[in-house]
Amino acid sequence: MIGAAIVKDTRLLLRDRGALISLFALPIVFMLAFGSIFQFGPERGEPRAVAVWAADGDPRGAAIRSVLDDTPGFVAQARPDADAVRHAVAREEVAAGLVIPPDAAAPVELVIDLAAPEQVRGPIQGALAGVVQRALAPPPPTQGPLVVATSPPGLARPLEQTSSLQIAVPGNAVLFGFFIALTVAMAFVGERKTGTWRRLLAAPVPRWKALLATLVPYYLVGALQLAFLFGVGALGFGMQVAGSTLALIVLSLAVVYCAVALGFLFAALGGSEKQLGGVASVVLLVMGLLGGCMVPRMVMPELMQALGLAVPHGWALEGYYDLLVRQGTGLGDVALPIGALLGFGTGFAGLGLALFRFEK
Amino acid sequence: MTAAPALILRGLGKDYGERTAVGAIDLEVARGECLGLLGPNGAGKTTTISMACGVVTPSRGAVEICGASLAEAPFRAKALLGVVPQQLAIYEELTATQNLRYFGALYGLAGARLAAQIAWALDVVGLRDRADELVGRYSGGMQRRLNLAAGLLHRPELLVLDEPTVGVDPQSRNHIFATVRALRDEGMAIVYTSHYMEEVEALCDRIAIIDRGAIVATGTVAELVAQHAGRGLELELAGEPGVLEAAIARASEHAELRRDGARLHVSPHRDLAPVIAALEEAGATIARIESREATLETAFLALTGHALRDAS
Repeated sequence: MIGAAIVKDTRLLLRDRGALISLFALPIVFMLAFGSIFQFGPERGEPRAVAVWAADGDPRGAAIRSVLDDTPGFVAQARPDADAVRHAVAREEVAAGLVIPPDAAAPVELVIDLAAPEQVRGPIQGALAGVVQRALAPPPPTQGPLVVATSPPGLARPLEQTSSLQIAVPGNAVLFGFFIALTVAMAFVGERKTGTWRRLLAAPVPRWKALLATLVPYYLVGALQLAFLFGVGALGFGMQVAGSTLALIVLSLAVVYCAVALGFLFAALGGSEKQLGGVASVVLLVMGLLGGCMVPRMVMPELMQALGLAVPHGWALEGYYDLLVRQGTGLGDVALPIGALLGFGTGFAGLGLALFRFEK
Repeated sequence: MTAAPALILRGLGKDYGERTAVGAIDLEVARGECLGLLGPNGAGKTTTISMACGVVTPSRGAVEICGASLAEAPFRAKALLGVVPQQLAIYEELTATQNLRYFGALYGLAGARLAAQIAWALDVVGLRDRADELVGRYSGGMQRRLNLAAGLLHRPELLVLDEPTVGVDPQSRNHIFATVRALRDEGMAIVYTSHYMEEVEALCDRIAIIDRGAIVATGTVAELVAQHAGRGLELELAGEPGVLEAAIARASEHAELRRDGARLHVSPHRDLAPVIAALEEAGATIARIESREATLETAFLALTGHALRDAS
């Protein structure tokens, strides 16, 4: 009987263009859009330009330009005078500027938009301060680099070459993967509205089986959706899986379980198609935003980072990030995100069961 | 040994919080019998049917379908029952065959047996030649017929039809009538609810009238009319609309009246004299008085105080 329900719901889904677009096509568009937004950033090898001016013949100017050019992510652009540097920053032609005053005792002027968000301005400001310091007070030549970056024990080494799609693909896969919850809730509303739910209750079928017959097809659709999105990510966009593929599959199955359970909870809370379309969509978007689907949690303030783990999306992305970026990540390494997703899912399902009214 | 009745309802009732939707209904439907269930909206018809079908859990009482207790052996009881809900409980995005494949699977039908039952059901409702067409492209009447086919697909012993002809064209209505008659003639027990009194009158062997959550009368049409309806009287009034309104309001204090424009139907078993006096005192002119034959409708009116269609 559940097999017949799977066949029936697959046929219904194939005839529902709206659902197909929102589950399969829209996420691809978003992946491309998000991928493109980050593609021109520093991590894609497009260095940020920094305008520099120093008086002719001032050796400090040449030293700073030289260190700047050697610093990954930055490139120096000479300007004819100090005002040209300031105008270039004001017109957003460059990320920042450095004005080296003729008076050697005066500090170097770091020109930057102080109204820019701390998360954007801070790293640039810090890096340029370091550049100036290294240029004007260089370490002894035999000492080598002052700082070497390493991963701490317990965190696997990341891939050498990562693209923004390593973040954009899982972010959108999780965001849209959870939208299956809306489809599940709508399915219950539709079955009740047309009376097919009534027919199901009148049939010699246990009620738990009636529930499963409605949920299982969407679990399979959700799993297919994630397989499709990660497949397109890997084959179409060059997304890499640094860790275990098995762990990726298990994590994805846990994500779908959680999403379908959330859909069941939405259905149990009731409401019309209109109400669900409005309220549940907003809830899912907010959850996605908090969880880091649109803006990675790592660039969020501390409080928001913590809040992100209050929604399953945050846990899902924790797991995906490790699996896609950190080499050698196995099932055991993502056991915590998987456990959290299963916990969320079971909580949603339990609450849904407590609230669901078969005879509404 | 005689076969158990197709349906037995014993003290069946349902409360929603403080409100009692159905008190305690006792009803029996014999094998091969077609029982019409009549009642105004809110009378408890749908709740009663829903409890009988296992869709709603009763607050009290018991249901037996062909000897199987719905509480103790729900799957055996439900397997003997076919349901045709008032809503079009079918998927418009699927073909008739695809719909019936799914509904057949709910009753454990599969393979060649399912295919044979689908062919039979589509034949019965006259949709075999449209079997592979999307249901969304069907007319309303054809969708109603498919709704019926989904209910009888597993050849139940008891078929419950809830308003099966709502919103259908005359051709499909006649087809549904003919199908119900044929099924009854084959020995299928049927419970039929409708807002169309003439449908129930034409199709059903026996009628149960339900009002305010209780069965107020059961019997054949002849029995109900003989017991509960006398010859009715119809008064045709003349006068200004305002005067008529006031006159009818005043006359209503003396008898239950049903108004149809300027015509007034007086319930049977009522003394007409005070009604006429009240109308004339209020300034209305009685243009004509006509005696009407007692019908199921007059019986229904006498029992419930509502005209069936006015209530719907």
